[in-house]
Amino acid sequence: MTTVPALVKVAASRILALLGLVALIGMMPWLSGRGAEYTILRARYSDREPTPEALAAVRAELGLEQGPVSLLQSWGHGIFTGDLGTSWISNTPVAPGIAAALGVSVTLMVFAIAAASLIAALICVPAVTEGLRQRPRPASGALSAALTSLPEFLLAAVLLVVGGVWLQWFPPFGWNGAEYAVLPALALGIPAGGLMGLLLSDAIRAGFAEKWVATWRTAGAGPLRLTAAVLRRALPAVLPQIGLVLIGLTGGAVAVEKVYAIPGLGRTLLGAAGAQDIPTLQAGMLALMGLALLVGTLTTAARHLLIGPAVRFGTLPLAEPPRFGSRRQLAVPAVAGGTLALVTLAGLARDPFASAHPRLAAPTWSLPFGADASGRDLLARVGHGAVGTLGTALVVVLVCLAVGIAVGLFPLAATGPLEVANAAPPILAGLVVAAVTGPSAHGAALAVAAVSWAPLAAHTAALAQEARAQPYVQILPVLGVGRARIMLRYILPAVLKPLLRHAMLRLPGIALALAALGFLGLGPQQPSPEWGLILAEGISYVERAPWAVLAPASALVLASVLAVGLAGAGRISPTARQVECGDRPPASGKGNGGLPD
Amino acid sequence: MSDDGTGVSGRSAGRKPAILAVNGISFAYPRRGFRAGRQPTLQNVSLSLSPGASTALVGSSGSGKSTLVRILLALAKPSAGTVTLGGEEVRPGPVRTLRRYRRAVQYIPQNPAGSLDPRMTVFQLLREPLRQLRVEGNHRPLVSEALERVEVPAAMLERHPGELSGGQNQRVAIARALVVSPAYLLADEPVSGLDLPLRDTVLALLESLVHEQGLGLLLVTHDLATAARMCGTTAVLSQGRIVEHAPTHQVLEKPRSAAGAALVQAAAGMPSTLHSSSDRTAATA
Repeated sequence: MTTVPALVKVAASRILALLGLVALIGMMPWLSGRGAEYTILRARYSDREPTPEALAAVRAELGLEQGPVSLLQSWGHGIFTGDLGTSWISNTPVAPGIAAALGVSVTLMVFAIAAASLIAALICVPAVTEGLRQRPRPASGALSAALTSLPEFLLAAVLLVVGGVWLQWFPPFGWNGAEYAVLPALALGIPAGGLMGLLLSDAIRAGFAEKWVATWRTAGAGPLRLTAAVLRRALPAVLPQIGLVLIGLTGGAVAVEKVYAIPGLGRTLLGAAGAQDIPTLQAGMLALMGLALLVGTLTTAARHLLIGPAVRFGTLPLAEPPRFGSRRQLAVPAVAGGTLALVTLAGLARDPFASAHPRLAAPTWSLPFGADASGRDLLARVGHGAVGTLGTALVVVLVCLAVGIAVGLFPLAATGPLEVANAAPPILAGLVVAAVTGPSAHGAALAVAAVSWAPLAAHTAALAQEARAQPYVQILPVLGVGRARIMLRYILPAVLKPLLRHAMLRLPGIALALAALGFLGLGPQQPSPEWGLILAEGISYVERAPWAVLAPASALVLASVLAVGLAGAGRISPTARQVECGDRPPASGKGNGGLPD
Repeated sequence: MSDDGTGVSGRSAGRKPAILAVNGISFAYPRRGFRAGRQPTLQNVSLSLSPGASTALVGSSGSGKSTLVRILLALAKPSAGTVTLGGEEVRPGPVRTLRRYRRAVQYIPQNPAGSLDPRMTVFQLLREPLRQLRVEGNHRPLVSEALERVEVPAAMLERHPGELSGGQNQRVAIARALVVSPAYLLADEPVSGLDLPLRDTVLALLESLVHEQGLGLLLVTHDLATAARMCGTTAVLSQGRIVEHAPTHQVLEKPRSAAGAALVQAAAGMPSTLHSSSDRTAATA
């Protein structure tokens, strides 16, 4: 018998999740174990031999002997007194550098949000004009889906090559004025704006279809008034998702700052993770968490302001969910998937490691994708990379499925962890894992899995709630069926099939997240044929040998198209982000033959 | 796990009959959120059932019928009062503490066919309560016997609910309640979703269970015609109180409570709901 009200459970779960996250960050030095000592020894005292005595000295110096709890205590105490620790590498206080980097990153994000808003507004124009003309058409969403499908690290690379190197309209590197912010802001803002536009234009279309619009029209409301009213109705529904998109920018910023050499927080963190400078990483993560909380609070506040008291009483009617999924929309992902399969099969027959060709050889009939800087066959590397990346992604998906099911069956207690995992960008998780264990394929997989189970858990919770309301489940206690058996024998079989389908739709998206980590050097290392890694290698030679970028980039674009196409077909959010989860009380199942209420 | 003491199982019919009773039950739904509290759903309700007799529980919607059934099924805990079977108190709790009670008191939901898991065969569906309630002995003959009682051919054993007709599913669900040989059946509007001929056969089946096999039946209904046909006594529930409990014909002819009179009047105003041959009294009341 549960007597704790759902509201309290959810609040407690949220607070515990946040505290857990802070504790995780605080214990990173202890988690990093022995690997850290070697790193520090090499960085600070390159003349000393790694003898046990020298390592012990480093341990004592870093305070690693204290154990996790007192480490956490002294770190927590430091935060409250404004001391964020001392860098393990430079041996200087961390706080000033983090503050400066945060300033740069926030500026970049403001530019990116401006770009995203502009793009989103442009995408919404047809929805508004169609609504005003009373000629509703089903949203094709093709443009916004295409924009959304491009991962930031890929877009940043492409924009750098086109806008910075070929056209020379904007400076390609650095951070010395507003013109330096244009390309990075676009790289961050285009996917975010595409997604925001997609969500918002769907909500606007649903808004114009509601009955009150006709009443307002009859009453003589002008187009401006009507548009404002529909916007006011549409915006609150998508604000939580827009909040998540904005929080997601922090992850994208890491890649973008790396590509454009911007001295922001993302690049600082990436450097810190690579050098195992854990205090810097801790401080940066804390700053990002604060930023994410701020964005989350602001969007929630905006939502409350827009809706007013309706949100408190739960009387707001739900907008119709957007519908996708015609045969024509399946054609695009099918073509992308087919091409990808073809490339993979062709590549698998070739050797990805032998440097058998001239350096950066141009594509020929016998070497269709050309060769990379080490003279290796790019077709072979891309083909083998597909198996590696997608294979890892498959394992990650299955792990996420298992975690999602386990968590989703107990939705109330899991609300907090679920929201945190849902909001945390995979790149940030990758930074933490790489700093603790060193960059590796396993670490990248672990990082992506750690934040990717949330949508599956939310889906499980929704399906389980539905299954629990079925009359044939409601009657089970009367037949003597216990809770565990109800879960395993009745609920699980009912939810498993749709969950498996959902998990498979997530596969390309997770492959892209893995590739992003590879691109940042947080995943598999040389000479692994990993897509992100191949792209990162090729980007230095983009002017001399564009094919070195083109081959992995096109593979990634195909995977993105596949991801978004499948996501659209399965009606799931294209960026693996989903907001709704079990903070509603379970539906009571009166009606068709369940137990009496 | 044997039936001792209370002698509640149908298979121990030779012993003294155990009375199923609610004694002075009150119940209020917990307040949700910050809304003001409502008045209690049930107030000081007492009612007793005995084997071989059927009682109708009538009342308009919202009168608390379903809550009373939930409490009788030990699924909800009353804020005051007790549920007793043969004098022993029954409280909601984990499955293992309630097995004996659940073998004695079974339930037929509003839409019995909907209460069958579409992924299970008829045999699996009927075996589940036998297994979970730890009924001893060979389950297969018990399943066949229960199916026989509701006149479903044994050939249906390996079929799924989707492969049966609506009427057959209805009978399978009733057989599932009967398979553990309960002493009592609680039926919540068991025929409300059925067409007229099917209604008649299901009611006839319930009638024979009461009269020939000595089951105690509590029939929750808003249809006085059904009550008149099936039940010796009728209890009228109104705003959480039992305002009248008397022989059914008396309730129909001279209702003593305003709620009873309103129900009778409503039934008289809608002759279309009166379909059975034995309910003319209701129409003329």
